[in-house]
Formats: sequence, C-alpha cells, structure tokens
Amino acid sequence: MFQFLFKYPLAVFEKGTIVFLAAWPAWILAAAILAAAIGLGFALWKRMSARGGAHSLRGAAIWMLQSALAALLLLLLWRPALSVATLAPQQNVVAVVVDDSRSMGVRDNGQTRLENAAALLNGGLLSDLRKRFQVRLYQLGGGAARIDSVETLKADLPATRIGVGLTELLDGVAGLPLGAVVLLSDGSDNAGGIDPGILASIRARRVPVNTIGFGEDRLRHDVELDKVQLPSSAMAGSRLEALATVRQGGFAGGKTKLSVRRNGQVLASREIALPGDGKSATEPVLFDAGPEGVSDIEVSLDALPGETNAANNRLVRTLSVSGGKRRILYIEGEPRWEFKFLRRAVEDDQNLQIASMLRTTPNKVYRQGLDNPKELEDGFPSRVDDLFGYDGVIIGSVDAGYFTQAQRDLIREFVDRRGGGLLFLGGRYALADGGYDAPPFPDLLPVELPRHARTFRRDPAYPYLTAAGRDSLLCRIEDDPDRNVARWKNLPYLANFQDVGTPKPGATVLAEMTADNARLPLLVTENYGRGRTAVFATAGSWRWQMLQPLADMSDEVFWRQFLRWLVADTPGRVAASTERAGIIDDDNQVRLRAEVRDNSYLPAADAQVTAHISGPDGGKTVTLAPDENEPGRYSATVAAVKTGSYVAEIVASRPGGELGRGVTVFHREDGTAENFHQEQNRALLQQLASETGGHYYPASAARRIGNDIVFSEAGISTREAHDLWDMPAFFLLAILLRCSEWLLRRRWGMV
Amino acid sequence: MTRLRRTLFPAFLSLVLLGSVYAFQNSKQSYPKPFRQYPAVEYYNFPLPPDWQEKAEWVFGRLIYPAVVSYPRWTMDYPRSDRHLAQALRRLTRVQVRSVEQPISLDDGDDVYNWPWLYAVEVGYWNLTDAECLKLRDYLLRGGFFMCDDFHGTREWENFTASMKRVFPDRPIREIPDNDPIFHVIYDLDQRYQVPGAQFIQTGRVYEHDGFEARWRGIYDDKGRIIVAICHNMDLGDSWEHADNPKYPEKYSALGFRIAANYVVYAMTH
Repeated sequence: MFQFLFKYPLAVFEKGTIVFLAAWPAWILAAAILAAAIGLGFALWKRMSARGGAHSLRGAAIWMLQSALAALLLLLLWRPALSVATLAPQQNVVAVVVDDSRSMGVRDNGQTRLENAAALLNGGLLSDLRKRFQVRLYQLGGGAARIDSVETLKADLPATRIGVGLTELLDGVAGLPLGAVVLLSDGSDNAGGIDPGILASIRARRVPVNTIGFGEDRLRHDVELDKVQLPSSAMAGSRLEALATVRQGGFAGGKTKLSVRRNGQVLASREIALPGDGKSATEPVLFDAGPEGVSDIEVSLDALPGETNAANNRLVRTLSVSGGKRRILYIEGEPRWEFKFLRRAVEDDQNLQIASMLRTTPNKVYRQGLDNPKELEDGFPSRVDDLFGYDGVIIGSVDAGYFTQAQRDLIREFVDRRGGGLLFLGGRYALADGGYDAPPFPDLLPVELPRHARTFRRDPAYPYLTAAGRDSLLCRIEDDPDRNVARWKNLPYLANFQDVGTPKPGATVLAEMTADNARLPLLVTENYGRGRTAVFATAGSWRWQMLQPLADMSDEVFWRQFLRWLVADTPGRVAASTERAGIIDDDNQVRLRAEVRDNSYLPAADAQVTAHISGPDGGKTVTLAPDENEPGRYSATVAAVKTGSYVAEIVASRPGGELGRGVTVFHREDGTAENFHQEQNRALLQQLASETGGHYYPASAARRIGNDIVFSEAGISTREAHDLWDMPAFFLLAILLRCSEWLLRRRWGMV
Repeated sequence: MTRLRRTLFPAFLSLVLLGSVYAFQNSKQSYPKPFRQYPAVEYYNFPLPPDWQEKAEWVFGRLIYPAVVSYPRWTMDYPRSDRHLAQALRRLTRVQVRSVEQPISLDDGDDVYNWPWLYAVEVGYWNLTDAECLKLRDYLLRGGFFMCDDFHGTREWENFTASMKRVFPDRPIREIPDNDPIFHVIYDLDQRYQVPGAQFIQTGRVYEHDGFEARWRGIYDDKGRIIVAICHNMDLGDSWEHADNPKYPEKYSALGFRIAANYVVYAMTH
C-alpha cells in the first residue's frame, strides 16, 4: 500500500534526501507560493465583497484550500525527487549471519527457530539476495564462522555473543565491499546485551545490520529462575538471604517450591506464588551459611507439569564462608542493663567476640571478653595498631568528652580507612546528650543530631519496621518478611528512647518507634568511607529478653544479626574480589583484583601479591600486577579452563613479612545461559538495527529485506535521484483539496 | 423510652467492645507497676526523698513473699536500708540509681520481669508457693538476678532451701570462691568478714543462732554465672540500714556497701 501511494518502498524515504530537479532556485518556489496565496486571497475577497460580504472564517477556509492546491501544483513544477545511495548490483557483499546457538533449537509452533530461519533463506530470500549481491553465509555462536550452507547448522552452540560475533565478522571482511549484514537470530545474548563499546565500534564501520527475529515474544508454559542474588562470602554461621528473581509464562496463579541446596542437602525451602504471565517477581529465601569453607549453593524451582524447559529452573553460586572470630570493642560509660543483655545475646555466637570496657566508678574500668590481660589496660585505644585490631566498635552511654582528640580522629579513621563498623547506642550520656555534636562525630553519625538537650527519656517506645527494614536481613527475626513485620509490632516496648534527630540523606532508616506521640528513628544505618555506621536510639531492648518467654529468641537473633552486619564486611589487609560477581559464563578468563593495605591500613603500593588458585583444572599460582593509577590495587587475568568452582587465595607480602591474605571465589559454567531468556529478545534486535542504520524485521515480513537493503552507502554504491512528481499520493491530494473546496462552497452557498 | 433504649444499647455495646479491644491491646504489654510504699515492721511511715519520682536505670527490687509467720517478714529493714543503699551506690558507682525501692510480688502478673534486680530479706522465713517458685525460676533464667540476705543458722537455712529447691531442683547451691568475678568487679573483696545485724549493738555477737560463720554462696546458670547470691549467717541489710547509726561499727557498713556494689554491678555485667 505504501509503495502504491508513494511509488517507492519506505526504506527509500528513510535513506534518501529530498531534492528539486528543476533548474529554478527553491526560493522562487517559495515566492511563487506566497504570490499565489496573496493573489487568490485578494480575488476571493473582492468577489465576496461584491456579493455583500460573507462569514470571514468560511472565506479563510476556502482561501486556504485554494492556496494549498496552488502550492502543491507549484511544488510539482519544481520536480521534487529523492536522492538515495543504492548498492551497485553484484559489486557488493552481503553477510547473512545465522544464530546457531542452542536457543535456536527451541520449537515454536512445531518447528525450531533454526528450521524457520533455514526455510526463510531457502524459500527465496537467499536467491533474491544472490541476484543482486555476493552473499556470504556465517554461523553465529560465541563468535562468527563462515559456512557454505544453512543445512550444516544444528543449533548446538553453547553460547551466543552477538556483539563479539559481528565484530569478528566485520574484521574478517575488512577490505571487501560489505553492503549490509543480515542477522537471523532470536536475540538471546548470553552477555545480557551488546556492550556499548562493541556497539559503537560496529556503528563506526557504517555497515547497516538488518535483523530478522525468530521466536515467541513471551515465555510459553515455562517458569524461569532469572537471577539469584547471593553474597559470595559470609561469616560462618550467618543467616544468609538468597534473592531469587522468577519469571513465568502460562502458569499465572500457580505455585512452586523455591529451594536452596548445598551438596544436594536442602538448606531451606518454601512455596512461592508465581507472578503474572510475562512478569517477574523477586522472592527471598533464608538459609544458614554453615561452617567455614567453600561450597556451591544451588537455588532451584520445582518443575511444573507441562513445563517446556526445566533447564532454566536452577542456578548455582559459589559461597566462601570464613571462620574465625570478628572482634568488637564495646565501650560503655555506666553500668546498665542493655550492656549485660547485649553481651548475653551474642555470647553463643562462635564468630563474634565482644571485648568491653565499662566505667563502673568515676575512676575504675571493668574489662570483659579480653584476648589477654593487657588488652584495654590503658583504656580506650589511642594507637592505630590497637584500635584497628577490632572489626567493629560500639559506643554506649559515654560522654564524648571522655575521648581525647587523638582518639576521636582514630575512631574516624577506624571507619573511613580501616573499613570498620561503628554503632552508637542511646543513653543519658550518648548522642546529643553526650556532646556528640563535636567533630568528628557529626560526620560519622547517620543522623543530624537535635540541638536541644534531654533527648534521652525513660518512657516507653514502641518499635516497628520501615519498608527498608522489612527488606533488610539485619532486622529479620522471622524468615518470612510479613511475619517478621508482625513480630516487630508485637515486641515488648522499649524501656527508654532517645531522639536522635533527622536521618541524613543517604542514610537508611530500618526501624522507627512511636514514643511520646511522635514517630522517631530507632535504627538508622549509613556507609561511611570503607566502613559503616549505625545508630540504635535506645538502651531498652533488654526488655525483649526479660519480657518474653524463655524460649523466645528475638533479642538474641536481633543482636546477632545486627552485630554481624556491623562487622561482616570489615575488610582485612587484603580484600580480594573478581569481576562480574564471580560468575564466568561461557568465558574462560576472569580478572582477579586485590586491594592491599599495610599494617596501618594505608594503601600498600610496594607489595608482592600472588594468588594461589585451586579449581577443577588443578592448582596454580599467579602474580598480580600493581595498578599504577590506584596505589594498593593489584590485578591479574586468570584462565579457568574447566567448568566448576575455583578458590583464589591472595597473599600480599613485603620483605618484612606477610601483610595479609584474602579469599575470593568464582564459578565457571558453559552453556547454562542458553537455557535462559529463550523468548525472542526483540528489543535487542531492534536496538542493534536502529543504531547501525538497518531495520528489524519479524520473520513473517522478512522477504522484502532484499528490496530494502539495496539502499545503503556501505559498499560500492551510486547515488540516484528518483522523481516524486508522478507519485499517486500527490494526485490524490490535489483531488482531495479541490473536492473539499467544492463541497464546502456547496454547503455554505458560495458556489 | 423503648426507642431510646434501642438507640442507646448498641452504642453502649460498641463502647464496651472498643474498650475491651483497647484493654486487650494494652494487656499484651507489661508496664511496670508504679511505686508504692508499704507499712513495714520497723518503719510505718518513712519519709520519701524529694527525687522519689525520678526514673532511673537501676531500682532496688524488694521481693514480697509469703512467710511461715503471720507478719510480713519481707519488710524487715525496709525502706530505710534500701534507701541508704541507693545513696551509697550513687556515691560509689556510676550506676544511675532510683532513690526509692520497688516492692515486687511474684504474683503480680509479669511485673517482676521489669525489674532485673531482686532482693529478699529474712528468707529463713519465706514460704514460696509453687507458682511463685516457677515464676522466680523463669525470671532468673531470662536474666534476672536475685540476692537474699539476713538469715542465720541451720533451721533458717533449711527453711530457705525448702523453697529454693523448688525454684531450682537441679541446680546446687555452691560456695562462691574468692576468685569469682563477683568479688572483684569493683572492689577486690578477698578479705571478707561476718557482718552482724543491729543486735550486735546490744549483744556484741557477730552471729545469730548457730550461724557462727558467714557463708557466701550462690546458684550458677549453665554459663557459669551467678544468678542467685545467697548471703547466709550475715545481715547486710542491717549494715545498710544502720550505716548512719553511730553505735553500729562503720567497718560492717563499709563491707556491706562494697559487697552490694559488687553484686549490683556484677548483675549488670554478667
């Protein structure tokens, strides 16, 4: 229809530019149109005035229709045309690229996607292209390889990397007059998309990539475990949360079971309601991290009857669990019940140790939880070595004036440089009532303290979770988030509370309390430097222990989770990590990184850093090279030859001795991603086409691609002008204008 | 009249229902009982200190218990000794102490759980009910601390243990060794001596009945912490009560206060 009205295909209009073939300049056309409009207006006004006048609006309408017709006729006199570059026949190469990955083997309506692609090519598309171009066939998987015919394709390649494949193809045909690329694919790319840098390099070649999409747009009778978010490291005995993102098609309203396993043993399992068709939902499942060591954690969904693809119901992540005790220094300015019950709450935690110093009298300090009798003998640490030996610090009801300026600066460095956790508790000598408006505490606190005094009061406060607290593992007393919210509401009231002011922008309020007919922040957290800070605006949570049945573990669970949050991410002198969160998908290389600090936790730029890697392909040692731009950072690329889990222990040393060591894990898997996202990724194919100057075609409309790709400047092309004056649309428009004028004149009696 | 009744009755019913719901909601929370002063054996109308309404972290909880005798033995020394101890703790420690005590009954719902420190005097005459024994055990295992004092000799000991064995049938009463933290948390109290009651002023004897030797005993929890501190054959309560009595020797009050300071801070740290 488009071509009937406008004489040429849409592609010509998109690629071409409008020109006038008449010898006269365009400005004369504009002047002529203006003169014609003025003349017609004057004549119409004169004629209507002679008849005794008429409605001015009706006259204007008639004048506009006459002027438009005159303008159209004048435009045609100037011979409008489309100037468009056209590929020279048989002088250009067209690359036809067929996705041969496993996802192309999925059956849609009885035939596989690859069979549909082959049928399209052999059903005339290839012969059409060969009449005009030299055609080269390619197979697309992790890269691109030339093939002789589509019959050799089997849809069995374990990966699809469209960007990498196209780059390889373009590099391979450099020097040839490549007119266009035709890509037949379902758009399922294992990298989750085309890297912007690769896309820019393809665009820079100025070769249009035309894409033909195969496959259904939505999942059909399938449940997919789209993503699993799980930390790669944890403290032994921690409660961990795996966030599973689930998608489905065809099972709306259904239910399935979400499970977490280690070595086949079920760690946690719960029934989940599936989201609507085509929608996704994220479901949490909590489990115990278990003892020290490295293990594969499998998260899976039970397959439903009639499910077409059960291979996308399971994902594996590698978890490194560290042992040893994290040490917390708790300084308390006065004996109080919160001190006792906090210590009791975590005393059974094998991975937490609280070393405390309590001011019992004006001149006596009582110490508990010590590693040796000398520890804290001189009071609160004043030296880096002493304070930085802890992973977290709790400041209770201690007047800020108790700390020297050097100690205050050290506390800031402890959070900022050491990466430790700092917790402020409420109390009559704490926060605003304890002079914590003096530097550096206003910077460290996640709240803006109130300016008035007497902010600590011994009156009841009723705690409840905020939306952020509902989702946070820190506040999770019950596994189920909704039951957890209800549990918090039913906790005994707090014996006292403190107004801590206003949470800072960027701080997270996990819990609030109703006290004195007002809502006040109770638990606020914030990241500061390499570490984290928190405020718990009460000293009355001991009632959660005393006022609840002996078997109730709310108080213990809360404090263990809270203090583990405080110290779990406190880095050692060597912080090891990998890119892409340790998941290597259809790749055999991983980048190891290490951030190395010296004994004072300053960046160590002169360390010798080596990684001892053990995995399915044995053990090896590699040296990490320093990053010249960022002192203290080291990296190396490591080959992971076989699939499976790898453990890298990174050791940093100096001539004087070892600085420290850190562990990171990564997991290599092949072909797994092909089982996921098996519906057509139309958005990716459309983006690729539009960004390179090509077009996206659904498979059903792909036959016309041969006519469209002719119009390209990529290869050897000639620029041609195509007349538009004899376009049927112009004549229809002229008739429409004239008929409209006639009809209006009849209706308004102006004939 | 009938119409009026028809209108008022649903309104009344609604109010009753609303009131019930409100009462039920609040009943889920156990609020501490307000301060109340009882008439005592020795002091009938003892004056209140000016700051008696000020809330504080630590409160001297005095156990109200049923006794084998008719008059209220639990009020012995009360409230003078309690308030003298409060003043002493304020002076000697950094504990924020309420100036007045809190009489606590184990039969008063969950009120006892609001007061993690509990003291009982003359427990040689107590006679806890089974329900009270269960409540006291639960209180101690949740984290409460119980100190008892001012009972002497074999007969009173046996009466004390008759109830205490029903509180903890499976936990033995042990002698507290000198190196236990409870004797060192503030003051090093290796050198302790028998602290007599006020009868010493008349008799010059430091013991009563056949309680010739002071015994510092305790009941421990599974973590090795003292949860019941038993002061047998001594009268620390009198040493606090008569701290301002020129006839009562200062050295006894000095030790009495130091023992109490250590026990209180131990209870708040262990």
